[in-house]
Amino acid sequence: MPATRILTAVPICDGHDSAINTINLEFIRHGVEVVYLGYNRSARDIVRAALQEDAVAIGISTYNGGHVEFFEEVLDRLNQLRLTPMIKIFGGGGGTITAEEAKIMYARGVDRIFFAGTPLAEMLGYLRAQYRDVVQQPYERLFIGTDQYLARELTLGERGAPGSPEQIPAATKPDCKTKVIGLTGPGGAGKTTLIDELVYRFLRSRPQNQRVAILAHDPSMIGSGALLGDRATMIYSQDDRVFMRSLATRGQTGGLSPSTHRCLDILRKSELFDVILVETVGTGQEAIPFGSGALGGVDKAVLVVPPDYGSQLQLQKIAMIDSADAIVVNKSDLPGCKTAVAEIEYRIRANQKGQALLRTQANRHRDTGVDQLFESFLGRE
Amino acid sequence: MTSLGQIIAAIENYRHSGLGQVQKARTDRDLGERMLQTWREAKDKIGFTVTPTGLRLPRLALPDLDEPGEIARFLWDEGLPGEFPFLTSAYAEQYLDPGSAEPTENEKQQSGVKIGSEEPTRLFAGLGLAEDTNARFHYLSRNQRSKRLSTAFDGPTLYGVGAGADGVFGKIGEGGVAIDTIEDMERLYAGFALDQPDVSVSMTISGPAPILLAMYVAAAKHRFGSDVAAKLRGTIQADVLKEVQAQNELIFPIEPSLRFLADMVDYCSQQMPKWYPISISGYHIAEAGATPVQQAAYTLSNGFAYVDYFRNRGMDANVFGPRLSFFLDCGLDIEYIALLRICRKIWAIGMRDVYGADKRAQTLKLHTQTSGRSLIAADWPNNLTRTALELMLAYMNATNSCHSNSADEPFTTPSEEYARYAAHAQAILLEESGLFKHMMNTLQGSPGMKVVGNAVEEAILEEFREIEQQGGVLGAVERRYQRSQIQAAGYLLERQICNGVRPVVGLNRYNDPDGNWPEVHMIRTAKEKKQLQRDRLQDFEKRHAGEKLQSLDRLSTVVEQGGNVFEELIYTVEHCSLGQITERFCEVVGKFRPMV
Repeated sequence: MPATRILTAVPICDGHDSAINTINLEFIRHGVEVVYLGYNRSARDIVRAALQEDAVAIGISTYNGGHVEFFEEVLDRLNQLRLTPMIKIFGGGGGTITAEEAKIMYARGVDRIFFAGTPLAEMLGYLRAQYRDVVQQPYERLFIGTDQYLARELTLGERGAPGSPEQIPAATKPDCKTKVIGLTGPGGAGKTTLIDELVYRFLRSRPQNQRVAILAHDPSMIGSGALLGDRATMIYSQDDRVFMRSLATRGQTGGLSPSTHRCLDILRKSELFDVILVETVGTGQEAIPFGSGALGGVDKAVLVVPPDYGSQLQLQKIAMIDSADAIVVNKSDLPGCKTAVAEIEYRIRANQKGQALLRTQANRHRDTGVDQLFESFLGRE
Repeated sequence: MTSLGQIIAAIENYRHSGLGQVQKARTDRDLGERMLQTWREAKDKIGFTVTPTGLRLPRLALPDLDEPGEIARFLWDEGLPGEFPFLTSAYAEQYLDPGSAEPTENEKQQSGVKIGSEEPTRLFAGLGLAEDTNARFHYLSRNQRSKRLSTAFDGPTLYGVGAGADGVFGKIGEGGVAIDTIEDMERLYAGFALDQPDVSVSMTISGPAPILLAMYVAAAKHRFGSDVAAKLRGTIQADVLKEVQAQNELIFPIEPSLRFLADMVDYCSQQMPKWYPISISGYHIAEAGATPVQQAAYTLSNGFAYVDYFRNRGMDANVFGPRLSFFLDCGLDIEYIALLRICRKIWAIGMRDVYGADKRAQTLKLHTQTSGRSLIAADWPNNLTRTALELMLAYMNATNSCHSNSADEPFTTPSEEYARYAAHAQAILLEESGLFKHMMNTLQGSPGMKVVGNAVEEAILEEFREIEQQGGVLGAVERRYQRSQIQAAGYLLERQICNGVRPVVGLNRYNDPDGNWPEVHMIRTAKEKKQLQRDRLQDFEKRHAGEKLQSLDRLSTVVEQGGNVFEELIYTVEHCSLGQITERFCEVVGKFRPMV
């Protein structure tokens, strides 16, 4: 039984996320994969994300008014992309949505509004009954080259279905221009922020017709649900030139999902992207998620660490330090950065593999360390 | 150790030395005699009041103590109203009715009783366009001695987005008032004498707070002359840290947001002595699901983090300290019998013993709002009772001002009818009932209040210790500590409601399946009004197109060269809209990266 994937969000100019946080948690505890887009999100961002994630439903939690217009805009945009009625919309707003407004919203195509006082179990029950068994078939060939076609291929790829080989374009040319960069490192190293900042630079410096894809991983919980929340903290990646897909690890350890390589292959073969960024979940010391060399499926592997990885003894145990093409010490404003850089430098010098060592502070606007990282791996060639 | 560690130590030390003081008062004759003397003097100073039924009462109720150790304990643990550690109240007298008080000798000399001249009732309002909220302000304050106008803004304004921005049309004027330009600001407070001491204005906005306050100052200058700033009374929320932890309405990254805030606080401390440029808020933390203790602990620690930040900039705690104000939620959990007074105590000890601040900076000035989260849609007239009880708890804890929620709050921006009932609940409590108007301390200092207070204080310290271990407030923020705790508590709360551990009348108890409750009058902003706001903004931007670029470039220069951004904004807002300024700031300092 494939996991149910839904997308949840809070509308633009609304930061009330208490309800959605509780609901997300309840859903993931019961086996749902929730792609969470966060709060203050425009209808455009929501629809783009739902399309790319190939979600079966969108859940919108609103509080500070304007819900009739907002849901309508989401529906309009889905309609334009011919995604209705495949992607269902449900939502709630406590007592702020009246029964009459709900009627209007239903008439326009909203699937379900939950009113104030609805028990969590009732929402979960509805989700299971209505969205769990939705069949997601491959799109017709006429959609080839569109994001939604790609999104569906990824869904099928993630399920491990043999796919539809005749629909996948010819095998990758040896000189395929798509560059794949893998980013890994312990939880809290700031990988997502770093990726978003790289995307910011990509969007500003590369020609308008160039696009970037992100394959982001989050851990599955016991019981198979997952909160796929990387999108929620991203600013610049909410852009039509960015295609992002979130994958749950679904029981696999080591930082990636059982279908990562299949999905990466699909992304590459789509020939839609100049760059693909792969983000692993927070990894432990032993992880070498991208394998070594060409087997790993990435062109370059970057290890991101915070300065407080522990003692030098701990450092010696991080296996990835030997196989990464670059090591980035992020959060370089934190104490201990100098020591961390010195210790890592010592280690990679012994490796004699020409590994790069960079220092970044990704959470600082226009950080020069991130500029350098971008130039080294993604600058004009 | 961060300063929070020092504060923990100071509070532990205060408790410890309190016990020592009690012993000493009992054994040391001189100290014992001084205690008895202090006590006699305190009692002698108390004035009298006469109730309408003819009962003559002291204006302050004190326990009957004649033993030096117990007096020392009282002064140390409880304190006199308006005296360190301010458990009973920030000021010596609050809420008392000047009409029934007999002037004391002192007051006779100073020609009359001055207490209670201003109501603590402060009603929050914001709907539609500026003129709609203005009309609501006039309606709500028509019978008040003083005009205390508290402003709620709509979503686009809170996020610093112009009404013309893509995708926000539906949000214009919903849940608060739409303000895009200085001209909207002029309309918002039209007809109120902002330069008079009986008018005060508060603005519930944080992300773009310096821009909004700059508009307010600039608009006031147009009407009341260029020297009006010193006369303006009010508060702006401007709490960056709670936005990161709970309310999610920050626009710029934390560091530049703090810098803009500090510029504003610095300016206000110098030029606007009657303005509170920050309201350190727990309300949104509690509404997001935090327990009462978490609310208090995160709010107080945020407050101390601001003190550190401002002091690191070279600002003087005795100058900015008195201009800090607080804003807390009051719900129905038992903690609220004592929570607010414990907050006053912790703040006072921290400010005195760690920062060496004087009395005016030690007193925590508090605005309270009854809990919005405690109000529910089912059988909603019960909300009147919930709010009334919460009001009672807030006033028992001597809040300095208070907003009471309207019963229709779960559904809508309050209707006039229920906003009136909410205001009247306060009038009934403070004016109709005799509980607060005759005597200070009528309901303070009960054994239950003390027991709960001690437990709350210890639990707050425990939270402080955890935050301290994470490198202080900013370190804990970086690790999502406060956010994750608040979310976990919110989830637990909802589970407890679902499984009935937490009784909610009308929902999981005494519920009426065919509930036939009164109809709610929903407040909505008409499409035409939303369009009007867009047209006005467009018109303003067109008229000022010539000065826009130059004004924004001037602003950028100040940001980059480290000048006072707030001072410059007072000029910028003459020519630029909120959305234009926000956009420019984002280019220069970046955007806040959401935390989830």
